[in-house]
Amino acid sequence: MGRPTTAARLRVGVARFTSCGGCQLTLAGLHEALLAVADRVDIVEFAEVLSPRSSGPYDLLLVEGSVSTPDQARRISELRRQARLLVTIGACATTGGIQALRNWSDGDAWRAAVYPQPQFIHALRTSTPISEHVTVDALLRGCPIDPGQLAELVTALLVGRRAQLLDATVCMECKARGTVCLISSQGAPCLGPVTKSGCGAICPAFGRACYGCFGPAHPANVEALKAQFADQGRSDEEIGRLFAGFTANAPAFRANARPPLAVLDQPPVGPEPAARISHGFPGVPPLTASGDDDARQ
Amino acid sequence: MHGSDLPGGGAAGPGSGDGRSGSAAPELRFEVEELTRVEGEGSLRLRMRGDEVVEARLNIFEAPRYFEQLVRGRTPDEVIDIVARICGICPVAYQMSAVHAFEDLFGVQVDPEVRRLRRLFYCGEWLESHALHVYLLHAPDFLGYDSAVAMARDLRPLVERGLRLRRAGDAIIAAIGGRPIHPVSVRVGGFSRAPRRTELAALRPLLEQALDDAVATVRLAATFETPAMERVARLVSMRHPDEYPYNEGHIVSSDGLDIELPAWRDAFSEYQVEGSNALYARASDGSAYLLGPSARIALAATQLHPLARRELEATGLADEIAANIFRSVVARGVELVHAAAEALELVEAYRPPDAALVPWTARPGTAAWATEAPRGLLFHRYELDERGRIAEAQIVPPTSQNQAAIEADLRVFAPSVLRLSHVEAQRRLEQLVRSYDPCISCATHFLDLTVEEA
Amino acid sequence: MPGTAEATVSFLARADLDELIQALRAGGRRLIGPTVSDGAIVYDEIQQAAELPHGWGDEQGPGHYRLTRRDDERTFGFVVGPTSWKRFTFPPTVPLWRARRDGTEVSFESAEPEPAPLAFLGVRGCELAALGVQDRVLRDGPFADADFRARRANALIVAVECTTSASTCFCTSMGTGPEVRAGYDLRLTELDEGFLLDAASDAGTAILQRLPVRAATDAEQARASTAVAAVREELGDPVMTDGLRDRLLANLDSPGWASVAERCLTCANCTLVCPTCFCTSVGQASDLDGLDSTAERHWDSCFTPGFARVAGGGDFRARPQDRYRQWLTHKFATWVDQFGTFGCVGCGRCIAWCPVGIDVRQELAAIAPPPESAARSTGVREARFVVRATAPAREPLVQAQASPAPAPVAPAGTGLDFLPAVVRSCFPETADTLTLVLGDVDPVILAARPGQFVMVERPAFPAVPISISRLSEVHLDLTIRAAGFATAELTGLGPGEGVGLRGPLGRGWPIEAAVGRDVVIVAGGIGLAPLRPLVDRVLSERERFGAVRLYVGARTPRDRLFGLDISEWGTRDDVEFAETVDRAGAEWLGRVGVVTHLFDTAEWDGSQAVAFVCGPERMMQAAAATLLARGLAPERVYVTMERHMECGVGLCGHCQLGGFFVCKDGPVFSLAELGDAFGREGL
Repeated sequence: MGRPTTAARLRVGVARFTSCGGCQLTLAGLHEALLAVADRVDIVEFAEVLSPRSSGPYDLLLVEGSVSTPDQARRISELRRQARLLVTIGACATTGGIQALRNWSDGDAWRAAVYPQPQFIHALRTSTPISEHVTVDALLRGCPIDPGQLAELVTALLVGRRAQLLDATVCMECKARGTVCLISSQGAPCLGPVTKSGCGAICPAFGRACYGCFGPAHPANVEALKAQFADQGRSDEEIGRLFAGFTANAPAFRANARPPLAVLDQPPVGPEPAARISHGFPGVPPLTASGDDDARQ
Repeated sequence: MHGSDLPGGGAAGPGSGDGRSGSAAPELRFEVEELTRVEGEGSLRLRMRGDEVVEARLNIFEAPRYFEQLVRGRTPDEVIDIVARICGICPVAYQMSAVHAFEDLFGVQVDPEVRRLRRLFYCGEWLESHALHVYLLHAPDFLGYDSAVAMARDLRPLVERGLRLRRAGDAIIAAIGGRPIHPVSVRVGGFSRAPRRTELAALRPLLEQALDDAVATVRLAATFETPAMERVARLVSMRHPDEYPYNEGHIVSSDGLDIELPAWRDAFSEYQVEGSNALYARASDGSAYLLGPSARIALAATQLHPLARRELEATGLADEIAANIFRSVVARGVELVHAAAEALELVEAYRPPDAALVPWTARPGTAAWATEAPRGLLFHRYELDERGRIAEAQIVPPTSQNQAAIEADLRVFAPSVLRLSHVEAQRRLEQLVRSYDPCISCATHFLDLTVEEA
Repeated sequence: MPGTAEATVSFLARADLDELIQALRAGGRRLIGPTVSDGAIVYDEIQQAAELPHGWGDEQGPGHYRLTRRDDERTFGFVVGPTSWKRFTFPPTVPLWRARRDGTEVSFESAEPEPAPLAFLGVRGCELAALGVQDRVLRDGPFADADFRARRANALIVAVECTTSASTCFCTSMGTGPEVRAGYDLRLTELDEGFLLDAASDAGTAILQRLPVRAATDAEQARASTAVAAVREELGDPVMTDGLRDRLLANLDSPGWASVAERCLTCANCTLVCPTCFCTSVGQASDLDGLDSTAERHWDSCFTPGFARVAGGGDFRARPQDRYRQWLTHKFATWVDQFGTFGCVGCGRCIAWCPVGIDVRQELAAIAPPPESAARSTGVREARFVVRATAPAREPLVQAQASPAPAPVAPAGTGLDFLPAVVRSCFPETADTLTLVLGDVDPVILAARPGQFVMVERPAFPAVPISISRLSEVHLDLTIRAAGFATAELTGLGPGEGVGLRGPLGRGWPIEAAVGRDVVIVAGGIGLAPLRPLVDRVLSERERFGAVRLYVGARTPRDRLFGLDISEWGTRDDVEFAETVDRAGAEWLGRVGVVTHLFDTAEWDGSQAVAFVCGPERMMQAAAATLLARGLAPERVYVTMERHMECGVGLCGHCQLGGFFVCKDGPVFSLAELGDAFGREGL
């Protein structure tokens, strides 16, 4: 099986779907590191920064954003064929993003609510993660992704090893940082105990409860945390809104999220994303430990 | 969905180019299917017959995200987190417009140190956003490269300077808000945590370097050769008697408009154009207007930090900035100087506030405010219900407001590139669009809840 | 002041407290002490007495902590907060070594810990005990954590006796407080008007001599004793520790584990606030070319998803209830087996800082009820889970030593350094398995015994445990299956390339136990690799053993290892050799079937034999059952266990199996040693 990467230049593409652009901007923020390996990496497609374009093939394609239009659903399939490794970056690409709250609405009501002439707008009813459409080799979570995790992923790919991404809860990073727990000390509705690590536990360190932008930890005992919030006197409505955030459509949060305008109890369920995460080449172990189903070395 | 294929083309908006020509001259088309080095997905279409522009259209086909719906039923603090996600480049601006709107409605008086921290926060965003645009997106146009990566091969110190400036901006936002993109600490009533004095003091070396780099930026940008251009649209920005406009002031224009921030709707309105997933905005009289660094410099230069004003004067380009959108790169440079210089002063004078967060009580009513995002005035308006939840929202980003001005400028500029090769002409047209630093993700959503949910 | 009749006790007036602070900080020593920050009393750097939490108290309960304002100006009128001293003796992240690659050469450089001198102000009885517990784990075993050792040696301890308690405290049950008895440099007990102080070390005495103190009166000492005794009285004895170890181990199948798992978030907070938890993982930070990397140790927890996972994806503690059981049984039972003390000191942090308020005292009572109620419950079995235990019950825990004088220590990292070796040749064994023959191996490693393993590292890759598959005077063979990126890197190496080795590690096969006896060797798949040095040794000393029976199984003919050796073993007439594959096509002329079929109908009598078994755990279970049925004693059936290993020397906590660290206590165990742990799910 040998080593999965070569000494040849790595052709990297960045593709954007429905998103704010913040995750690919994180890549632009790594530019100094990327300049340092300019002889090993060619960024051949990055429309927001580079004018020259490439439709592939790519050794590594970083995909930001969710699938929310018919065009995008077609485009992601084409891109998948061009990409040796396809890595989704950020909450939109990995869970559907904040815009996936429309998945709780009925049909076209939202479009009609926002646009005076909704017939001009071509959008799907739902916003879904990339992994519901194509096989994904690895993923980076977060809204936005963490620059350190992105750098580690690129490094690991170049070196040919597994990316070392902490697979734990936000609490793990909170404690390493020395932050005082907001749940015990303030009764705050912090999602840290059921949220995947990776951000560095920023929110509690800045005095506010985690709002789950890295998505559910694995396992995520959401029921137990909800019971604790209820014991603290929070209403079902409030608890439902806590989970109706930037990763509301992630499987472990989906059943617990109640967006304010929801008309459905749960959004239509796509294929289980984890089942569509391949983590690498046949015979080569997963690129990251952020998929819930993979193993440590 | 890339533009209109229907007879009649664009809707009836300014600059949408429904002019007709009886001449039999062959039609010349420029189409840029996907604009590059702009933030988001947009396309450009220009049709000409002879010297006459038949159609000039900037289409935004970035997928809609329905933010005005996403915030309905939410609490003010939740709105602050959600609207940040409209844009990965200027999340601070979205948070600031929203937080000021709510505080205005609720009658919240924040600690004076919090007010200064918010200015510092905004300095960070301007540094980060302007540095990105000037060095990574725009400078290659003037220096003959097709990307910053290509430019870095020959002019690495230049690109590194841009990256340093960005990093300084990022560092400010992260020190106050936890991370540079979608910071977490902004709350109605202040910040969930105020930085320690030492944490901001640690920024000083970065900011001193940033100030030097910003000055070098103005001086470099002033040497860029630009096509000749005459302004069509009026200029609109905020102005404040005591400070360069970030969070507070009035809305003023080059033709004498002067209104309170919440009164934006008295002077401007939004409308939809087929083929774009964004709304346009226009003045009440139907005219286009320009927001952003050029407008701010033209309308508020007297409030620039003395160092920035000195650099502006040294360029001798103050008038041209107001008239020629290609000079916006100089305006951004001057604002980089301002942001770095003011940030340095704020950091040096910083004392942690007595109350990082003051308590408040939500009340029903209309919350409206505008702040100066890097790309220009960003207007938010929320209707709050009896529980203090959002009943309706309107968010008008600068790029939707500039869209009409961009198209108007395209019509004026297009004839001058006709004698160039097609490739070169197309490149120039893209460069023009890029001069506005259009932020297309921001533009995609809006608006006017005239149609209620079914 | 209790228990210090012979010591001179001094009195320091409250107004002079800053004199103590400055004396502690003299000579550039950093002082760490309690201070109010973010709604709690945390331990942080202190520069003056004013930063201490005068007048603050705390209110604690399950999942609950609030600062309270006291009605006096007591400085230590609170209990323990979210910080524990391990943050300073065992920080969240510590660099361990740097690895570099230059061409084919690799080099390794251990980090040289040079911690700044620290003073800890306000160490409670339970916390002092916790430092002592970590001393045993990280400093006093066969392998020491160099960074911890250096930090401990550099810390001066000012202990405080508790004159107040929280509802979460149970030091009285664990024998750690509220009094402070030993292990401090200075000890302090607070009265309204000031502090009683005494010293128990030269360093403590030297500081005391610089302070404006006077001798404490008898009345003052009596008041102090009364205050501390009142706390003891108030706390009572909430956890019945007598026989607790045995009760817990007898209840490994209690429904209580599933019940607590319904509430447990597996967020790891309990382990991270715990002052004794020591589990860590090692991460590699490397440059983009993988030529230069730094290994860093960081806090981990037995609650994290990958903690007990091994290459190939097997997870030994997959369910939350497995993880909670591991944590609780470790603290209150198997820790005793490993280190002679409980792993819990009764500080109550895990109760207050559990986001959902799980209370270990209640869980212990529910899962391992005290005898009177246990008598009523059914199904309590005898604990035979680990045989080498002696429960200390309520003996006082070993206390921390007062700023131990830096003993003449061996160079930092001794035994833990990676030593370079060079690949001499490579032999493909199967499609995914390869044997590397290493030369230039350090003599210490070449002196390995059959059955031992080494940690193998390539710069930028995690170190992986690999069994030694052959030993000679100059070479060492490693047979490696490419199961992950790190092993893929190793199997991709060619002659001349370097690797780093740490070892030899683990107990090898106890060959001496087989001298004069019949020997049965059973290998499944790659399990033959660690057995081959044993076979080599037995055959080279053939006359020392009775009959030698060697049974080898593989999945398919393509998965057979060591073809040359097998051919040779098959032709020897002093070895009974048999081989099988699980499945095969028509081209295979040998036997087909599981390896136990090779001897389940054999004629031989096993009552005097010794067996050595290695293979997948399920295969070993089947083999063990067959061997026991053939009359072998459990004491003479040796198996080799696989668990996740990060360090290989018993410091990282990953590979625990009941009361064992598989890396240093194993990986070879007799069935008798393993007891119930062998084949039990979720350990």
